[in-house]
Amino acid sequence: MILPDLGRDVAWLSWGRLRYAHTQGILLGWLGNAFLAFLYHGVPILTGRPVTSRKLGLWLFGIWNCAIMAPGWILVLAGISQPLEWAEFPLVVDALVMLALGLAAVQFLPGFFARGVESLYVSSWYIIGALVFTLFAYPMGNLVPEFVAGASGAAFSGLWIHDAIGLFVTPLALAIIYFVIPASTRRPVYSHFLSMLGFWLLFFLYPLNGTHHYIFSVIPMPAQVGAVAASALLGVTVVIVVTNLFLSMRGAGWLPRDPGLRFVAASTLFYLVVSVQGALQAQMAVNQTVHFTDWVVGHSHMAMLGFASFAAAGGLVHAWQRIAWARYNARAIRWAFWLLVVGMVTMFVDLTAAGVVQGLMWQTAAPWIDSIVATRPFWLVRTVSGLILAAGFVSLLLGLTTGPVGAGRREVDRGDGSEPQPVVTPRLASAAAMEAS
Amino acid sequence: MTDRPQRALRMSYIVASVAGVVFFAMSVGLLGLWPKRVLDAQAKAMGPEYALPLSDSARRGRHVYSREGCAYCHTQQVRYLHADMARFGAPVLAWETRPDTPHLWGTRRIGPDLARAGGTRPQDWQFAHLFSPRAMVPDSVMPPYRALFDGAPRRPRQEARDLVAYLESLGRARELDGPDGEKRAREGCNCPDDAMTQMAFGGTLNAHPARARRSHEAASLPLVNDLPRGQRLFARHCATCHGADGAGDGVGGATLRPRPRNLTEHEYSTARLADVLWNGVFGAAMPAWRDHSPEDRAAMAQAVRALAVPQQEPNLPPHMAELGARTYAANCVQCHGVRGDGDGPAAAELPMAPVSFRRQRPSVAHAIEVLRNGIDGTSMAPWTSRLTDAELLAVADYVRGFYAGALETSPP
Repeated sequence: MILPDLGRDVAWLSWGRLRYAHTQGILLGWLGNAFLAFLYHGVPILTGRPVTSRKLGLWLFGIWNCAIMAPGWILVLAGISQPLEWAEFPLVVDALVMLALGLAAVQFLPGFFARGVESLYVSSWYIIGALVFTLFAYPMGNLVPEFVAGASGAAFSGLWIHDAIGLFVTPLALAIIYFVIPASTRRPVYSHFLSMLGFWLLFFLYPLNGTHHYIFSVIPMPAQVGAVAASALLGVTVVIVVTNLFLSMRGAGWLPRDPGLRFVAASTLFYLVVSVQGALQAQMAVNQTVHFTDWVVGHSHMAMLGFASFAAAGGLVHAWQRIAWARYNARAIRWAFWLLVVGMVTMFVDLTAAGVVQGLMWQTAAPWIDSIVATRPFWLVRTVSGLILAAGFVSLLLGLTTGPVGAGRREVDRGDGSEPQPVVTPRLASAAAMEAS
Repeated sequence: MTDRPQRALRMSYIVASVAGVVFFAMSVGLLGLWPKRVLDAQAKAMGPEYALPLSDSARRGRHVYSREGCAYCHTQQVRYLHADMARFGAPVLAWETRPDTPHLWGTRRIGPDLARAGGTRPQDWQFAHLFSPRAMVPDSVMPPYRALFDGAPRRPRQEARDLVAYLESLGRARELDGPDGEKRAREGCNCPDDAMTQMAFGGTLNAHPARARRSHEAASLPLVNDLPRGQRLFARHCATCHGADGAGDGVGGATLRPRPRNLTEHEYSTARLADVLWNGVFGAAMPAWRDHSPEDRAAMAQAVRALAVPQQEPNLPPHMAELGARTYAANCVQCHGVRGDGDGPAAAELPMAPVSFRRQRPSVAHAIEVLRNGIDGTSMAPWTSRLTDAELLAVADYVRGFYAGALETSPP
């Protein structure tokens, strides 16, 4: 936007192709890897037994990164792709994603069922839900529009766009949040009833949101109205979920000292913001103005970055701190947190404002190009915020790769978390005891 | 804990798990399968029996469009909203999307919607714009697609040709379907009470403000005396093709055929400028500027008129005027008309309307240059093999006599 001529003579560096790589990189490359990594910490504790197989884990890692991400990126940059948002990798890679998701289910799920479903913690439910339903949803978004034409195909695309966030990203992010909060505050969540209510409502409502990506399109109005209503209800549900989460964090203060909890608390707050905003922008009166603008771009960054990436970072930091041989640089992690917060908030406010400007200009008779000119300063700010975010992620990487070996573990042992007295839920206590033994 | 509650709990979780799968299936059914059924039925009822399929070239172009991620910045989905309709045209009907597999609807509009892009810009403009967007639209943020060319916009590779063929196909099926098609769709829908679907039939099919029309009808411009504003607008929108001084030598115009007009060599009546700015020049890359306010267009017209460089024109003897009239009558009236207003008997057959000399007056030097070289990209041919130097000079002078200047107000 700022330097559109950058890479003008090199096809694979052109903006459109990088955009292909960006969406899939975030969804599968960053969040996918981060979630899977966290599951290796979380699942043994939640199930009280190791994951299925170490060898399978190596295969899964290999397939995910060497057979999905690397070829996927190379192929889309080389121009072999499918033009479906959040489903850009070509079909051959999609098949491998399906395989990997299947392997992930084999790797992580048996422990839950072996233990018996009646003793499952809410994080476990989210993990099961995510791994099972993504298996259903992925082919719907990636395969169906290749065979179903036009408007009908778009209806399925809309479903997948929302299932990707609702059935893959959100459940795993919430699994992390629900895991990290009690594990670092050493108190049970505020209400198991509310957490399960939230779980079922989310799995009920998320898939029903899909069509809100195509409001005022030719897709039948009842489907649009239904999706809009589901979006509003989803907003209400998230308020319930977030209330429960914040009540679980009470006592940790506005800015928890435990670094994992700190990321997770920010993630929870961003989740509230993005969901209330989502419920609002799906309403037709708002949607007709802000749809297609940078408002929505701000919204999706708030979801994938503010909510999901903060949760993933919180989960990674939390798990990392508990690995005795891992390096840990507390200062870099603190920097990462603040850089990411500043970058995220700046980008979100900037893009939301830009979206309002664009949407209102499009309602007038002003020439199209005027909306581009008016957006220029916003894009400049956005670039700066993007650089801050990039610095934040570099800092996060440094925090997990530099610093003294075992520094994270020592911090945990010293009890630098928010709660001095350990009040542990019976379930987690037994799991933790098993892990210790 | 006794056995009974355990079992009840287990049962409740099984029920819940089944319910989860049912939720998912319900979403697919309600928001995927049912809309598909409705849309298929709608397409069948409202679409033509035989819609023109995409040509092979356009089909390959569609692949280029999707591969390059065009859909990330350009939607192909005119919504059922008045703001969308005013900018882009009629909302997209289900049958129009039938050849779209996979669909390219897009979710973000950085550039304008392209669902009705066909017939909006000529091919040479598209090539120049793909090669170097800012040469055509200085404020654009579109990336250039140099890899589709052999180093210059005049040398598009097959992929660029395919992409432009695809762009030209967008919205074409419905346009070719014509008023009869609209009538059939309306009857096929049989939905007089469905206010949303009825919107698809209201208004212009392609409302792109830059789309050139062959009409000469344009409202007269308001009286605006604001040369600086006109010059600012000219510098921002026009100079890229017409050149900063209006000599027709801007970077963007280099590969356009016909070349952008040399505005320094012409006097234009206000009515002519009102017409061109409202309708564009059909058959040339000159777009219409209907998205600009009448005041802006009036200021632009003022700036264009100010570009004409006054020249010392030759004062020819009377017999030359007679020679000019004879030459004109023998060679030019077919297209330019008896009174020089561009409505000769052959005019309607030409892909581009001939110049009306009543509404614009070239300098003699420019007229002779055109007579000698013709205008590449139009039906105006070189006349050196048919006319002597004296005849060329005489007719060049003669056509200047048609100019009605400020008196000319109404369209021909």
